Amino acid sequence: MAVVPQSKEVAQKAAQKSASKAAWNGYFSRYATLIVLFVGAALFLIPFYVMMAIALKSPAEVAATDIWSWPKAPTFQNFKTVLENTNVSFWNFFRNTAFIATVTTAGVIFSSSVVAYAFARLNFAGKDRLFMLLLATMMLPGIVTMIPTYVLYARIGWVNSFLPLTVPAWFGGGAFNIFLLRQFYLGIPRELDEAAFLDGASYFTIFSRIIMPLSGPALATVGIFAFMYNWKDFMGPLLYLNDPELQTNELGLSTYNALQAAQWHLIMAGSVLVMIPIIILFLIGQKYFVKGIAMTGGK
Amino acid sequence: MLSRILFTITLCLTLFTAVFAQSEGASSEKRITLRFTVWDGDEASKVLRKEIASFEKAHPNIKVKLEPVNYDRYFEKLLTQYAADVAPDVAMMDPGNFQRFSKRGAIFALEEFFDDVPGFDIKSYYPSIVKAHSYKGELFVLPRDIAPMAVVYFNKDMFDKAGIPYPDGNWTWDFKPHPELGDKDFLTLLKKFQKKDARGKVTQWGYVPGWPELFVDMVVFGQGARYVNDAEDPTKFNYDDPRVIDSFQFYSDLTLKEKLIPSSFDQAGTSTKQLFTQQKVAMFQSGIWETPQLRVEIAKPDKGGFNWDIALAPKYANGERAYPTGGSGYSIMKKTRHPKEAWLLTQWMAGAPGMMAMAKAGIAQPAIQELALQEPWIPGPNTPEDQQIPKNRIITDQAEPFVVFPPTGILYPDLNLMVRQPVGLIYTGDSTAKKAFATSQPVTQDRLDTLRREMDLPTFNWVAAGTIGILIAFGIVAWIYWPERKIKRTSKEQRENRTAYLFIMPWLVGIVIFTAGPMILSLLMSFSDWDIITTARWRGFGNYTEAFTIDPTFWKSLSVTLIYTLVSVPLGIGMSLGLAMLLNTKVKGIALWRTCYYIPAMASPIATSLIWIKLFQPEGGLLNAMIFGPNGQGGIPGLRQILQPLAGSNGQINWLQNEQIALPSLILMSIFGAGGGMVILLAALQGVPQYYYEAATLDGASAAKKFRAVTVPLISPALFFSLITGFIGSFQVFTQAFQMTQGGPNNATMFFMLLTYNNAFRTLRMGYASSLAWVLFVVVLIFTVLQLQGNKFVYYEGSDR
Repeated sequence: MAVVPQSKEVAQKAAQKSASKAAWNGYFSRYATLIVLFVGAALFLIPFYVMMAIALKSPAEVAATDIWSWPKAPTFQNFKTVLENTNVSFWNFFRNTAFIATVTTAGVIFSSSVVAYAFARLNFAGKDRLFMLLLATMMLPGIVTMIPTYVLYARIGWVNSFLPLTVPAWFGGGAFNIFLLRQFYLGIPRELDEAAFLDGASYFTIFSRIIMPLSGPALATVGIFAFMYNWKDFMGPLLYLNDPELQTNELGLSTYNALQAAQWHLIMAGSVLVMIPIIILFLIGQKYFVKGIAMTGGK
Repeated sequence: MLSRILFTITLCLTLFTAVFAQSEGASSEKRITLRFTVWDGDEASKVLRKEIASFEKAHPNIKVKLEPVNYDRYFEKLLTQYAADVAPDVAMMDPGNFQRFSKRGAIFALEEFFDDVPGFDIKSYYPSIVKAHSYKGELFVLPRDIAPMAVVYFNKDMFDKAGIPYPDGNWTWDFKPHPELGDKDFLTLLKKFQKKDARGKVTQWGYVPGWPELFVDMVVFGQGARYVNDAEDPTKFNYDDPRVIDSFQFYSDLTLKEKLIPSSFDQAGTSTKQLFTQQKVAMFQSGIWETPQLRVEIAKPDKGGFNWDIALAPKYANGERAYPTGGSGYSIMKKTRHPKEAWLLTQWMAGAPGMMAMAKAGIAQPAIQELALQEPWIPGPNTPEDQQIPKNRIITDQAEPFVVFPPTGILYPDLNLMVRQPVGLIYTGDSTAKKAFATSQPVTQDRLDTLRREMDLPTFNWVAAGTIGILIAFGIVAWIYWPERKIKRTSKEQRENRTAYLFIMPWLVGIVIFTAGPMILSLLMSFSDWDIITTARWRGFGNYTEAFTIDPTFWKSLSVTLIYTLVSVPLGIGMSLGLAMLLNTKVKGIALWRTCYYIPAMASPIATSLIWIKLFQPEGGLLNAMIFGPNGQGGIPGLRQILQPLAGSNGQINWLQNEQIALPSLILMSIFGAGGGMVILLAALQGVPQYYYEAATLDGASAAKKFRAVTVPLISPALFFSLITGFIGSFQVFTQAFQMTQGGPNNATMFFMLLTYNNAFRTLRMGYASSLAWVLFVVVLIFTVLQLQGNKFVYYEGSDR
C-alpha cells in the first residue's frame, strides 16, 4: 500500500490532536480508576463500618436507629461489658490464641526448613517418590484425616489440651511450606555450600551457617502465613478445646454469640475485640506478607 | 541474623512447650474434684455456684468445678467429651436426650445408689418426671425440676389498656376463631391485641410462643396426636398424620397470613422474650425458667416497665389440655472415678437443698411435689418483695397432670432432626407443611426401618482390619523404595543418606502418625458402624450404599458444594484479577488500597460471619434496607424493581432463610474475600516486564489483545495457583455455614464438610462420616487431576512450553 504524503502542517496538527486526546484519555482513565477503586473499597469496608457502629451504640439506640447510622453518642460501655463478663474471658481467648499461634509457628519454621533442606540439597534413598508423596499430601482435604486423628488424640488423652493443635506442626510443618522453602533453597547458589563442604563443613553447619542466614525473607513468609492460619483456625479448637478457659478467639467468639442470643451490641463489640489484633498484625507484617505472596503465587 | 533469631526462638519455645505439658499433668490434690456440667445460663449458674459452696461445706473432701455450656451445643459436646474420655463426672440431662447416653452405657442406672443416702425416697418426686427420665423401667437421670411449658407471661398493663380481663387459664384455642366465646377464645383475643400502622404493618401482637415448636407441639398434643407411635420404642413417624401437618400449617398461617403471632421476620433480630419485655406483645409463652431474667429485664412500672404475671396456657376446643414439657436432672457419667461422691452431689443438687435454692430464685419448679406446693416456690407472706412476682406460680402444679414429654426411644433424637429438616421452610412460607413433610417423612421412616434391621450387625474385626492396614502401609513403603533396589552407595553417599534422613525425620514421623496412618484408619473405619464409645460393628459397603442410594442429604450436599465451588472460585478469581489490574495502573497510594481490599480477606471468619448475619437480616438488615428502604419505603431506585421478584411473602429478601437464595448469598459474601487473590495476582502483574506491553503497543495490539496475549500467559502460574488452592479450599468450606445457617434452610447450604462434621461429631457416626470424607477426597482428587491436565496452558518463564 502506498503511503500518501501529507503536508507537514497537517501531520503536525494531527499528531497534536491525538496527543491531547491521549492525555485526556489518560486523565480520564486515571480518575475513573480512582473512582472505581474508591467505590469498591467503600463496599468492601461496609461490613466493618456496620460492626463498629453497632458496637458503639447503646442497646436502646440499636433498637431505635437504622443499621447504617453512626451512633449519636458513641459509648465504650459494650466493650466494658464484654470484657467484664465472668463466664467468658476475652483476655483468656487472646492469650490462648497467641500461645497456640506462636508455638505452631515456631514448629512450622523449624521443621519445614529442616525438611526442605534435605529435599533441596541432599541425596537419599527414595527421595523422588517421597517428594511425590509430599506433593500429593498438599492436595489432601484435611477432613480425611480429621476423624481418625480425633480418635487417636482421644485415646491418648490429648483432647481438651493445646497439644493436638500445637504438636503436629513440629512434625513436618505442612507440605506446602516444605515445598515453598525447597523452591527457595534451590535458588541459593550451590557453589556456596560446595565451597563450605570442601572446607570440611558438615551438612548441619552448611544448613545453619549458609542456608538459614540467606533465607530470612522466605522463613518470615512461612512464619507469617502459619501464624495467620493458626490465629484464625476455627475447626481445630472447635474439635479439641472444650474447657471455656482453653478457648481461642474464634471459638470463644462463637460461644459468646450463642450465649448472648440477639444482644447485637455485645456480639459486635466482641467481634471488634477479636478483629483488632489480627488487623494490627497484618499492618505490621504487611511488607513481608506481600513479598511472600509474590514468592508463593508465582512459582 | 534474622534466621538465627528465629531459630533460637524456636528452640526456646520447644523447651517451653515441654515444660508446659509437664506442669499440666503434675498437679494433683488430696481433695477429690468433681466436674459438673450444666446448660444453665448466667442467673441459674450463680444459684448453682452458691449451692455448690454449701455442698462443699457439708463434704469437705469434695471440690466441685462447674462447667456451664450453651444448650445448643451441650449434648454433642458432652458426647464427644465422653468419647474422648474427658467428660465431667456429673452432667445435666433432659428427657429428650438422656437416651443418647444411656444407650451407649455412658450413664449409670441410678437405682443402685438409692440406699446410699438415708431417707432418700424416689416416690416423693412427681411420677411423670421420673417416668420421663427412665427407659424400660430404669431411672437414668435424677430429676431436678419439671417444666411444663404452659406458662403464659402476660403484660397486665396492656390488658388493662385494652379493657380485657386477665387470663385465668380457662380459655380455649381452635383452628377457627369463636367470637361468641369472647375473651375466652384465644384467636379472638389475639385479634383484639393486633395493632397496625398506617401502611398495614403490624406493630403490636397479642401473643408469641418462646419458639415456634412450642406452639406447634401444644396444638399437636392438644388434638391427641403424637410425633411417633410409641414413645419408648418408636416404629413409625407420624408426620403424615393430618393433625400434625395441620398444626404446622396453622402456625405458619397465624404468623404469615393472619399476622396474629410475630414471625421470625417480624422479630428483626430480637428474641421473642425481648418482644415481650419491649411491650410489643401482650403474652409470651414459655417455661417458668424465664422468670429470673424477666425480673431483671422488666423495669418497675414507675420506671418505664410494666406489671406482669403468669397464666396457664389455653386448652383445645374439646376441653383437652396437653402441654409440651421439659424438665431436667443430673446423671452420673460411667467413666467417673468417684461414683459414690458423684451420687452425693447429684442427690444434693437434685434433692431438697438444690431444689429449694432454684425455687427461691424462681428458676425451676421443684421435681418433688411437696416442695412445689410451698414457699418459696409459691409466694407467701415470708417471700421477699422482689420475688413475689409472678404471683400465680401455682399453675405449674396445675399443669402437671397434662404434661407430654419427648419420646425416649433410643433412635429418636437423631431421626427427629432428620424429619424436621424442612420445618424452616414452613415457618418462612416457602413451603406448605404438607409439601415439606411429603419427602422428609418417608425418608426418615426408611432410615428408621434400616436402623431397626441393623440393630445386630457383626462386630468389626480389628485384627483383620489392622492386617489390611499394615499391608497397605507396606505397599506404600515398597512403592517408595522399589527404584532403589539395585542402587549401591559409596560410604560417602551413605553418610549423606543418613544425614538426610535425620533432616527429614520430623516430616517422616509426621506423615506416618498424622497423615498416612489416619488415612488408612479412616478407610478401614468407612466400612464400620462406630461411635468410638461402644464396640465397632462391621457394615461392609453399607456406609457407601447409604450415601449413594438412601441419604438424600448426601447428593444435595455434594451438589451444593460443587455449585458453590464452581461459581465462587472463578467469580472470586475474576474479581481479584479485575482489582489487581486496576491497582496495577500506577495509581497513587497502592499500599493503602491494597490494605483496604485485603482486610476482609484476612479478618476473623467468625466475626465476619456474625456481621454478615446482621447484614443479611431480612427486617432491618443492611442489604434489604438499601434495596427497599429502612421502612419498606425508598431504597435505591432501580435495584428495588430488579430484585423485587426475589422478595418473600414478607416483602423482603430472605437472604439466608430462603431455600433458593441462601447459597447465592453465601457466594456473594465469599466475593468479599477476593482481596486475598488480588494480592497474589497483583504481585504477579508487577512482575510482568513493561517492555512486553510496549512491544505489543508498537505492533498495534488492542487492549483486549494485550490482555489475552501478554497478561494472561505471563501471570498464568499465579492464576493456576489461585485456581487450585481456591478449589481445594472451597471444597472444604465450613465455618460460614456452621456459624450462619447450620446448613439450612432445608440443606440448601449443607456443605460437604458440614455434613461430615455433623455425622462425625454431632451424631457420632464416625464410620459413615469416614466414608463421606473418602468420597470428598476422591472428588477433590479428580478435580485436581483435571486441573493439572490444564497445566499445559500455564507458561513458566524460561521454559520452552
